[in-house]
Amino acid sequence: MRIREVIVALNQMQADGIVARYAIGGAVGATFYLEPVSTLDVDVFIDLHAARSMEGEHGVRGRRRVDCIGRVVTRPSDGAIASQYIVVGGWPVQFLPATSPLVEEALAQAVEIDVDGTPASVFAPEYLAAIALQTGRAKDKARLLQFIEAGAFDAKRFQDTLAKYELVEAWQKFERQFLSDTP
Amino acid sequence: MTFDLQKMIESKRAYRARLAALPIGDKLRILDALGERQRSIRDSVTRSGTAVCPKCLKDPT
Repeated sequence: MRIREVIVALNQMQADGIVARYAIGGAVGATFYLEPVSTLDVDVFIDLHAARSMEGEHGVRGRRRVDCIGRVVTRPSDGAIASQYIVVGGWPVQFLPATSPLVEEALAQAVEIDVDGTPASVFAPEYLAAIALQTGRAKDKARLLQFIEAGAFDAKRFQDTLAKYELVEAWQKFERQFLSDTP
Repeated sequence: MTFDLQKMIESKRAYRARLAALPIGDKLRILDALGERQRSIRDSVTRSGTAVCPKCLKDPT
């Protein structure tokens, strides 16, 4: 199972101190709670604070930290760097630093889920849904609808998150657009 | 054969609920297979020379 190879690599990166922590988001993260939906990449959110310790060793800054991660990940058993992705187990993996308070909190609150004996750190469903609302593309709205239809998150925790990150208005607009009987 | 739309909607909903309830290992294996298929379709479309929306190439998901 190739996504499992991605998870193994991520756990190794965390163990080696390349990243302080990681969490799988996006469509693959949503799969942990919903039905599988086709996707072409794996979005992995990371806390780079631990990577600062590598600055002296590699002289990295900003975007070059991804190159540094790439060099560490692309050991003989791993894949190549392709555009903004690093290929692991055949899967393009996009490493995304947590650059917003919502994502930072989502990363801090990530849950560990066992995948056939391998632990995987994944965003909690309430945060996946809130981030989808915040991102607001058509496919994000579709994903949010899936979460709602499946009852796959804690409604109160979701609403509390929306209030904390000023997403109530966006949610009300979404409700009017998709959940209201009134056209 | 009947075209009971409500029945079809309920049937699809139930199917999706069954998929969502699968063990995570099984779901990720399905993702692997779906990803392979999507990449094959995308690669065959670009190889055939058929115009593909550049936005789709940049954001195939």
